[in-house]
Amino acid sequence: MHKRARSVSMAVLPLTLIIGLGAGLPGIARAEVCVGDDAGHELCLEAPAKRIVALSPGVTELLFAAGAGERVVGAVSFSDYPVAAQALPRVGSYDRLDLEALLALEPDLVVAWQGGNPREQVERLSRLGLPVYFSDVEDFAGVAGTLERFGTLAGTPEVGATTAASLREEVATLRERYANAAPVPVFYQVWEQPLMTINGEHWISRSLELCGGVNLFADESTLAPRIGVESVLARDPEAIITGGMGKPDSTWLEAWRDFPQLTAVQRDNLFFVDPDLVQRATPRLVEGTRQLCQRLEVARGRR
Amino acid sequence: MADASVHRVSRKRRLRPLAWLALAALLALAIALALGSVGIAPDELAAVLLGGGDALHQTLVLELRLPRALAAFGTGALLALAGALMQILLRNPLADPYVLGLSGGASVAALLAMLAGASMALVSGAAFVGALVSILIVFGLAHGTGSWTPTRLLLTGVVMAAGWGALISFLLAVSPVDQLPGMLYWLMGDLAYAGSPWPVLSVAVISLLVVTPLGRTLNVLARGGLQAAALGVAVRPLEWTLYLLASLLTAVAVTTAGSVGFVGLMVPHMLRLRLGNDQRLILPASLLAGGTLLTLADTLARTLIAPQQLPVGVITALLGVPSFLYLLSRSR
Repeated sequence: MHKRARSVSMAVLPLTLIIGLGAGLPGIARAEVCVGDDAGHELCLEAPAKRIVALSPGVTELLFAAGAGERVVGAVSFSDYPVAAQALPRVGSYDRLDLEALLALEPDLVVAWQGGNPREQVERLSRLGLPVYFSDVEDFAGVAGTLERFGTLAGTPEVGATTAASLREEVATLRERYANAAPVPVFYQVWEQPLMTINGEHWISRSLELCGGVNLFADESTLAPRIGVESVLARDPEAIITGGMGKPDSTWLEAWRDFPQLTAVQRDNLFFVDPDLVQRATPRLVEGTRQLCQRLEVARGRR
Repeated sequence: MADASVHRVSRKRRLRPLAWLALAALLALAIALALGSVGIAPDELAAVLLGGGDALHQTLVLELRLPRALAAFGTGALLALAGALMQILLRNPLADPYVLGLSGGASVAALLAMLAGASMALVSGAAFVGALVSILIVFGLAHGTGSWTPTRLLLTGVVMAAGWGALISFLLAVSPVDQLPGMLYWLMGDLAYAGSPWPVLSVAVISLLVVTPLGRTLNVLARGGLQAAALGVAVRPLEWTLYLLASLLTAVAVTTAGSVGFVGLMVPHMLRLRLGNDQRLILPASLLAGGTLLTLADTLARTLIAPQQLPVGVITALLGVPSFLYLLSRSR
């Protein structure tokens, strides 16, 4: 893979030179930047990227947080945060890319979502000589590491490092604060029809864990398993938390009141969290985690 | 002499529509090269095709549009030809390339490969193997013992298709959520994943060479098995040849682009409404018209609401249904 990344960077060299000359900075020495991506590839660029295309809403958000926002020239549908991202040219949706529109933006770096983007299409981009970074962020450590690497790739290493450091600090503060919190058995509802939750590997589950929540479906095998209502009743959560379908909407939570024997219903521990804050693994997840922790505190108070 | 001139006239009558269809095919390919989410002016396109032009335009036209347009053409051609053959074989106007459960077998294998995290090349390979397995099961069961009829083949195939359908639903139900979009697009038929166009194109050419000499015999068979047997046609071997040929064509098509619907069912019918039911004409015409329809449909699929991309199966039906109904109402 190392070899591939090298040949890729060779192909980009003329482009970067042209851009460099165009920007009137021919004299400045350019250092090669290298990072390892989440797919285990080593990716080297002759110079920090200036035209980046982000292939998932989460990646877009991470790039902006790493200070690379001005260098992002294309994004996919639903890339709605920060506000500046909403005006970016679109290159299709994350699961179906418009390769033509993407190539027309003449990017010098493509940041793909490993596991989300169609592999065949992303591989075609690699074959066409574009440097591709595969991103697959799983938790806070991943968010922080990604911020640093995106900063490096985009020539904004200071912003990336600062944001990553403050993120690590905030998470450490939260972790310390809830280190001795009493465990609360939680059911996190992702969807209603079909009824879906998350397993222990999902970052929402890890965020819950951080402040004493116990995901009752942590040992399911898939990341977002479909489950039956019966299994929720059998495990009797003390709190039910959901992000709902976007806007605060209590219909999913109200439906649980049909089962008054549930501890969560008896104690009225039916909580809503802002889905935008928890459903993407980005720096905003810290705020989302705070919301989750605060809900769990409320649940503890009702014992 | 009189006989020869009659022959010449009828041959001319067959060649003229084919020439028109070939022209339409070329036009469709040209449109596919010219249109995309990035605008390329005709003179720039010409420059690219002559080996020059802007580097970006070269990539767009030669690396993205051309292979995809050719893959679409080949896939459509194979599906339409396979549909025409199935309709003759089963003597049933509702027959299409998928009626005997072949796409179901291919889909189950492809979804399993996707679940296992296989690369797209492996998924295609699995689809081909799944299609072959389905062909052999249906062949084995329908061949069985005792009397064999197209009806028996049809029933066996339809029941197999239902079984595969249940397995597909099961796989979709247990698959991880992040895999579902890819799976659904595969099931709807999608040329974004098509690799090299050469397998479909070469199979299309070979199959044309195989079926062209059969045209006259197929005309007899289309009138019914008994009549054909009375006229000296070895009906059963011919029918099995048709089954295997149509199945293999479909398998290659499905392997390239997933189960693209509609083309195989409607294109032969549209041509029959317009050109009559002479297989010597209908089979090559299906090849050209099927390829043309799918090329145009795929061009629309990737440009209609660009940069959003649609699965091509949606477009084939949206294009085909009204034109088919129009032809049907006019033919009364």
